[in-house]
Amino acid sequence: MATNDTETTTPTPVLSVRDLVVHFEKKSSLPFAKASATVHAVCGSSFDLFPGETLSLVGESGCGKTTTGRAVLQLAEPTSGSIKYEGTELVGLSRKEMKDIRQNLQIVFQDPFGSLDPKMTIGSSIAEPLAIHGRWNDEEGPELVAEAMRNVGLDPRFANRFPNEFSGGQRQRIAIARALILKPKVLILDEPVSALDVSVQAGVINLLADLQEKFGIAYLMIAHDLSVVRHVSDRVAVMYLGRIVEIADKVDLYSAPQHPYTQALLSAAPMADPKAERKRKRIILEGDVPSPLNPPTGCRFRTRCPKAQDICASEMPELEDKGQGHAVACHFPEAVQII
Amino acid sequence: MAQPVVSVKNLEVSFRTDNGVLNAVRDLSFELGEQEVLGIVGESGSGKSVTSLALIGLLPKTADVTGSVQIDGEEIVGRTEKEMYKMRGDKVSMIFQDPMTSLNPVYTIGWQIIEAVQAHKEMSKEEAKAKAIELLKLSGIPRPEAALDSYPHEFSGGMRQRAVIAIAMANSPRVMLADEPTTALDVTVQAQVIQSLQSALEATKAALILVTHDLGVVAGVANRVIVMYAGRVVEFADVDDLFYRPSMPYTHGLLGSIPSHTTDSTERLSQIPGSPPTMINHTGGCPFAPRCPLAQDICRSTEPTLEQVTTNSGAVHLSACHFRDEVSAMPVASMFVGAEEILEGVDDSGN
Repeated sequence: MATNDTETTTPTPVLSVRDLVVHFEKKSSLPFAKASATVHAVCGSSFDLFPGETLSLVGESGCGKTTTGRAVLQLAEPTSGSIKYEGTELVGLSRKEMKDIRQNLQIVFQDPFGSLDPKMTIGSSIAEPLAIHGRWNDEEGPELVAEAMRNVGLDPRFANRFPNEFSGGQRQRIAIARALILKPKVLILDEPVSALDVSVQAGVINLLADLQEKFGIAYLMIAHDLSVVRHVSDRVAVMYLGRIVEIADKVDLYSAPQHPYTQALLSAAPMADPKAERKRKRIILEGDVPSPLNPPTGCRFRTRCPKAQDICASEMPELEDKGQGHAVACHFPEAVQII
Repeated sequence: MAQPVVSVKNLEVSFRTDNGVLNAVRDLSFELGEQEVLGIVGESGSGKSVTSLALIGLLPKTADVTGSVQIDGEEIVGRTEKEMYKMRGDKVSMIFQDPMTSLNPVYTIGWQIIEAVQAHKEMSKEEAKAKAIELLKLSGIPRPEAALDSYPHEFSGGMRQRAVIAIAMANSPRVMLADEPTTALDVTVQAQVIQSLQSALEATKAALILVTHDLGVVAGVANRVIVMYAGRVVEFADVDDLFYRPSMPYTHGLLGSIPSHTTDSTERLSQIPGSPPTMINHTGGCPFAPRCPLAQDICRSTEPTLEQVTTNSGAVHLSACHFRDEVSAMPVASMFVGAEEILEGVDDSGN
């Protein structure tokens, strides 16, 4: 992609999320039961996604990364906050208006066995988005499908086969072809490779990099594998219990993480390098992630944080920019080299 | 090595299927000493889980098992279920991937640990309870007294897995088998579980066989590593030799396909073309040959045996490759550069 190096103004984000809050009401199954509890899935996340870049949301189960991704597509209803796609507010749009915008915002799910209809040929699966958005016609359609298949490294002659004839890696390629046939500007990748074996995973990662270079799509990737994230991302946001605790350029985040949770996360991730493994010091966190039904006051991480003080219980630290787009939500941030 | 704790010789496991005989494990041999950790790695379907089930005698009756598996000098292959029942938990124990299904949801954690403790030793209720508390403490569970009265659903995934580890080490077994013990867990929890696994090894002096697909976990925990492909051991070496001097193209491919989180390389990952073969009616040749960029005619006709690689150190390093010495000298994954397929088709063979 040709970019103008002298350009100094910040580019306009393709996707802009501000103070996103997603709560789920947990209803009791008993009749006449009293008011329900609230799951605080996402609590005030803000981030921008720029054209052609990859931003990854990382964190452990229940940190709200998947809900954030789904909220962007309005698949989970935001409780409050704003999500703008190229300046258009998505929160509060009607289903019909959202349907039009979804042509530009597509998603690839984690499980390629669950995301393809077993009774549809892969050709129809890939063509379906065109039909749904009224863009199918018999002259160009088949060629568009063939091109989409070639783009993901599949032979178009197999368009009339069924999903069960393909391996996990091939199915994930089919899912990617389907997501890309509308030429979206943003692709949300929800754990796109975590269900695949490593050697197959590598092929899909390479493919995603090629497609981004070719079409300039922005990726919002949701993942938990820190090695994969470092390989594919430009920027990384670390989430903990519904909040972004640190967001930075990937080089900064991996070489000088400032939030104690990011540091613990990086120190715990296994490395395929025995000598490095023997040398490293692990920060082993005590206890478990608290329940999102009843998150701690103040800083969400304070119950497991080795640096927690009184202020951490009383005041929620805001995500503050410490320079060069490296923002941290901690009362006592300190850059530490972990790996 | 003194008397090995585990000694496996020419283990073969096959299943009869409608499509023919499926050779899940072929000609597997290794020995393991006290407190040693053996990592068994491989992709789905490589035979690593079947191997671990064979070692604890939990394969279904439809499996044909030949060869020998000795644990602490006692033969496992051919034992009756009743005899195995006495050995399991006492000499050899197992930690499965999913702690929710390996714990019984209707009994308390305490009940389940006490059951394991009393299964092999005469012990009063009080003694067993004290032992259970000690085990929970060892495996890193906070407030072990209170944990005794908890049910599995009250525990998080990591806590459950630590309770399973407590049960596995209850009778100080000679060998613990762990099949993907941390795969379902988040990384910070994984670190906790690995820590309790390591303290369990220290406390019991057991050997550990760790079956996993995660090379990072293996790099951190194992002393020695077996790489399996299509039911066979294709490489066996000390952990450093395996990671820094791989001698089988498949191992190169595996190592090259994991991105590093210590460097900012955005280079392409090496990808192994094609997919693993089915193990039904295997006929001659190296099973990796169809995916191997170095394959020659000999690879397609003759299956290589597992033999020592020429090394400076003289350490045991076995590889099943006709070109093991050449491959050993090559930079990691170099042979896969440019070996990508352009278009993937459907594998029609064997169907």
